Amino acid sequence: MRRLLKKIFLVDLAQGLWVTFRNQNPKYIYTEQYPAERPKVAERYRGAPRLNLNPETGETLCMACNMCALACPESLIVVSSQRNEKTKKKELVTFTFDTSRCMFCGLCEDSCPTDALELSQDFELASYTREGQIWDRKMLEEGPKPTRYKC
Amino acid sequence: MPDTTFLDSTELVLNMGPQHPSTHGVLRVILKLDGEKILGTDCVIGYLHRGVEKIAEARTYAQFNPYVDRLDYVAAVSNGLGYCLAVEKLLNVEASPRAQAVRVILTELNRIASHVLWLGTHALDIGAITPVFYCFREREEILKIFEQYCGARLTTHAFRIGGLQYEIYDGFEQEVKAFCDMFLPKVDEYEELLTNNRIWMSRLKNVGILNAEDCKRYGVTGPVLRAAGVHWDLRKAQPYSGYEKYDFEIPTRDNGDTYDRYSVRMQEMRQAVRIIRQAVEGIPEGPIMAKVPKVIKPPVGEAYVSIEAPKGELGYYIVSDGSTQPYRVRVRPPSFVNLQALDRMVRGALIADVVAVIGTLDIVLGEVDR
Amino acid sequence: MPDEKPVPPKPAPKPPAVMAATPWKSDLTRELNDRFGEGVCQCLSYVGQNFIVVGPQMVVALISYLKVGPGFDYLVDITAVDWPQRAERFELVYILYSFARNERVRIKTQIADGYRPASVVAVHLTANWLEREVFDMFGIEFTGHPDLRRILMPDEWQGHPLRKDYSILQQDQRWVQENLDGASGQ
Repeated sequence: MRRLLKKIFLVDLAQGLWVTFRNQNPKYIYTEQYPAERPKVAERYRGAPRLNLNPETGETLCMACNMCALACPESLIVVSSQRNEKTKKKELVTFTFDTSRCMFCGLCEDSCPTDALELSQDFELASYTREGQIWDRKMLEEGPKPTRYKC
Repeated sequence: MPDTTFLDSTELVLNMGPQHPSTHGVLRVILKLDGEKILGTDCVIGYLHRGVEKIAEARTYAQFNPYVDRLDYVAAVSNGLGYCLAVEKLLNVEASPRAQAVRVILTELNRIASHVLWLGTHALDIGAITPVFYCFREREEILKIFEQYCGARLTTHAFRIGGLQYEIYDGFEQEVKAFCDMFLPKVDEYEELLTNNRIWMSRLKNVGILNAEDCKRYGVTGPVLRAAGVHWDLRKAQPYSGYEKYDFEIPTRDNGDTYDRYSVRMQEMRQAVRIIRQAVEGIPEGPIMAKVPKVIKPPVGEAYVSIEAPKGELGYYIVSDGSTQPYRVRVRPPSFVNLQALDRMVRGALIADVVAVIGTLDIVLGEVDR
Repeated sequence: MPDEKPVPPKPAPKPPAVMAATPWKSDLTRELNDRFGEGVCQCLSYVGQNFIVVGPQMVVALISYLKVGPGFDYLVDITAVDWPQRAERFELVYILYSFARNERVRIKTQIADGYRPASVVAVHLTANWLEREVFDMFGIEFTGHPDLRRILMPDEWQGHPLRKDYSILQQDQRWVQENLDGASGQ
């Protein structure tokens, strides 16, 4: 008898509807209003690559050892260097990184011995052209500058 | 018995094409229909074939690790675990206990994430639009934990050959425990929405029945096999990565229809929370990376290692010829083998049942096509 | 004629390294030897995983026997490996598992290019798509298969991608031109 009443009065459907209504409470709003609020990404987030500079001297930390180029599965890093005659050490000349083929796996930053190459927390890497996705050293050191909206 | 096709109805061939909201990816199913009843199906796959096995022959072992995440992109951590275990088998190393515990925690979180996404999309295909929002809300919490641990939400590249790359971050244990406490009432909420709902039951009961005999003949594994009554789980039968230390049950049901697969996956989510709670209680101290040479060159040989991925038995057969690049990597995808059983499951059913069955098999085209 | 230093003879090429497999003896191997005769099945083991090497004609008989007798009722995988330097170029691998014994075993055979092995679809239905994939990727045709056509590549594709002589950058130019409107993006 109870089962018949439950069936007629749609009790199981009402239970489901009650769950839905309970979740309508405004304190459960999860939507992030992007681009006004940018999401806070984790510290270890693998985003845009960046070549770090030494904070005191302003020079690049990269010693042109080519480990990142060897570690990359897609072989999209090209490092060129020249030998400095005075100090007999290799110096970085150009550093090309193709972000259009990068899968942000992090193998390059894992292999860098001086922590020069790092995948930063920037995730806004869009550009209008394919060539704009190939980053040279200047772009890598400064980082992409996405448009900020005043809200 | 009069021939039902006598009344001037011919067989209709309908293409449920690669672009379809319910086929979980680019899957093309050619249906032969008599009215709305299905006489036969033919699955055409290969729209997402990326040649991952061929790529593997041109990369070193460590370089291939990120590609493996892209196979079952919904649950990327398990793929990485399977691959790392297979290479470790060839190298004859075993990860340290600390690495094993963290691997178990991440893999079980990944199992919950995969089942939660399955539930949301399956319910959406059937017509229940609400669960998908709640499921993605829970999945977001898991993805946040992944992001804080390894830096990416979906293509995690969490494990390395020999152990882990990253130490667990401060607050990992608290966040995982908080997630477990938050998640169990949510599973009850999903059950409240769906389990006793008459529409859900009538859409799912007795649809797509695959009994134990057929499961074994078709080589189907995973929750589909357990729903058919076979009490078998690779985590219990051939434990790997420290699973023998944890106490959990394997849910099984009898009928092998779609409703049973739904119950099995809901119970698996609860059991996964149980495993996580046990694992996070005592993460042993120690190193996170075993003694693995910098340049990985396994001796000549081959190995097949398989794990219980959320979708079934995911296996890696790696053949090494002694150089730094694998000679052949074969991925045995659970979704590929499970999808063969689609034809058997929908004979005589209606088109709406095809949608339900594709959902319940939990296929991911990234894995089917590689 | 300038004096030429005597060229030392080239050192003999090292034989290719072989897998360090150890012989495997168990009840199962004794049963197989009784059934098929000594020396037909070579039972070996590597890193704790057992495998049996047989001649290509014996494969279907062996798999049917293993299904019925010892209970290896689940065909896990069928795959192939291409060794172009060998005369018998392809190595077909079948992986079987038994629920009752909780044991996995591999069966390997060597076949030459152009040999058409028998299909195991009659024994295990799983083999249907698995053999289609081996055909698609390697070009090994299976006799007795109900529906042998390409599964992952488009139907009109020429070439078999996982063979070692198919380079990773190669594409079927004709198919790409016809179907993707022009040159490929390489």
